[in-house]
Amino acid sequence: MNTSELLEKIAFNVIQGRVEAEDDGFDPGLEGRPAVTELVTEALNQNIDPKKILMESLTESMETVGEKFEKKEYLIPDMLASAECVGVAMDLLAPHLIKAGVESKGKFVIATVKGDLHDIGKNIVAIMLKGAGYQVIDLGTDVSVDRITTTVKEKQASFLGLSALLTTTMRVMGEVVQKLKEEGIRDRVKVLVGGAPTSIEFARKIGADAYCKDAFQALEIMKK
Amino acid sequence: MIIIGEKINATLDAVKTIILNRDTKSLLDLTQKQTAAGADYIDVNIGTGVGSQADEIRSIKWAIESIQGHVATPLCIDSADPKVIAAGLETLNGKPSMINSAKAEKHSLEAVVPLAAQHDSLLIALAMDEDGIANTVDGRLPSCEKICNACQKYGIPFENLYIDPLVMPISTDINSGLVTLETIFAIKKSFPGAKTVTGLSNVSYGLPQRRRLNIAFLHMCIFAGLDAAIVDPLDQELTAAIKTAEVLAGKDRYCRRYMRAYRT
Repeated sequence: MNTSELLEKIAFNVIQGRVEAEDDGFDPGLEGRPAVTELVTEALNQNIDPKKILMESLTESMETVGEKFEKKEYLIPDMLASAECVGVAMDLLAPHLIKAGVESKGKFVIATVKGDLHDIGKNIVAIMLKGAGYQVIDLGTDVSVDRITTTVKEKQASFLGLSALLTTTMRVMGEVVQKLKEEGIRDRVKVLVGGAPTSIEFARKIGADAYCKDAFQALEIMKK
Repeated sequence: MIIIGEKINATLDAVKTIILNRDTKSLLDLTQKQTAAGADYIDVNIGTGVGSQADEIRSIKWAIESIQGHVATPLCIDSADPKVIAAGLETLNGKPSMINSAKAEKHSLEAVVPLAAQHDSLLIALAMDEDGIANTVDGRLPSCEKICNACQKYGIPFENLYIDPLVMPISTDINSGLVTLETIFAIKKSFPGAKTVTGLSNVSYGLPQRRRLNIAFLHMCIFAGLDAAIVDPLDQELTAAIKTAEVLAGKDRYCRRYMRAYRT
């Protein structure tokens, strides 16, 4: 397989959501063929530029997945399968990217705020950002205001993503922004918010920098 | 879950006629319909009950020669007679196959298990021995053990073994369904790697609304860990029930098969 064939195959399998050869994909009959793990390993053995794998196979294919999700052609499990592929590929690529001196696009702290245990959307965003080349620090769910702001400060993160799925917990996002101001680090970090009850109006009201309807919009906004 | 298509069975009058008349076209049609519906194996039972052993051997050869070359789906040779099974396997000439079946009786195991080893065939074996079918889990497990011992003796990996825990009607013994389910659990626990297969529909014999009972029972068997079922793949309610139960039991990674069935 030459380089472009291999990169195309990796992209195809990310879209199909196949981590290992035994996995079936979105389309039937793919079981047994090499999948993301085998193909990325093969690509690295062939000394293909890891950055190229990242950009041409992972990032681009996740954009395709995003489009399919928007069109409702893909449902949640399809997207999670593809996201898992990117996560696995990134774990394989990470040491090579560091060796190649590829710098991350920046540190991104992400958390579901205090009182809220929902993490499906947050996890998807985290994996997508990883796939797009950010160094993601995922604090998990039910994370206190203090822990979020302390992490942003200590890690000197450039970006902060906050998630909440409840109308009762979304107000915590406002408290986080407030605390960042009190700590004097609000200007150093871009704050993105997301989750079902949030909106552009809400983001504006609490003084966040952006509202993301979903993981793909988050990536779009990050590009800008 | 492996689906073994049950429709080529000479105990059904229409199939008996096909076999006696050597109606190649109808036989092939019955095969292709099951393949198209998603059968992983096609069961072939040519025991019309009217001929001699030599007749059955001629019939199995005819049936396999008629089907192979036209259909890629592997065949499951269904006979109680080891000579008929042997003839079928020889006709298949090394193609992937399944044997249906051996019993846990000494002479059956000694005749059939070596055939499975020789032809690298998957083997269905029934949890019944010289004393018949036990009506408790503890009674059926010794049969399963005899089967497993025979497989080890002849070098058949447990992965190639499908034990039929057997299904008796609940109309005559209300515990029958439970005994099958618990036997599936027990096989999985006692003989790691060994698989399970069953025919299901006997459970509802003698009762009204059999389909409802069969489907509910199928759900439960899948929960218990059933690996294969001998069913009518053209029965869409049944194949839908398999997908539904498997996704709920965590056997369908990222709900792939369930969602694919919904799309198509």
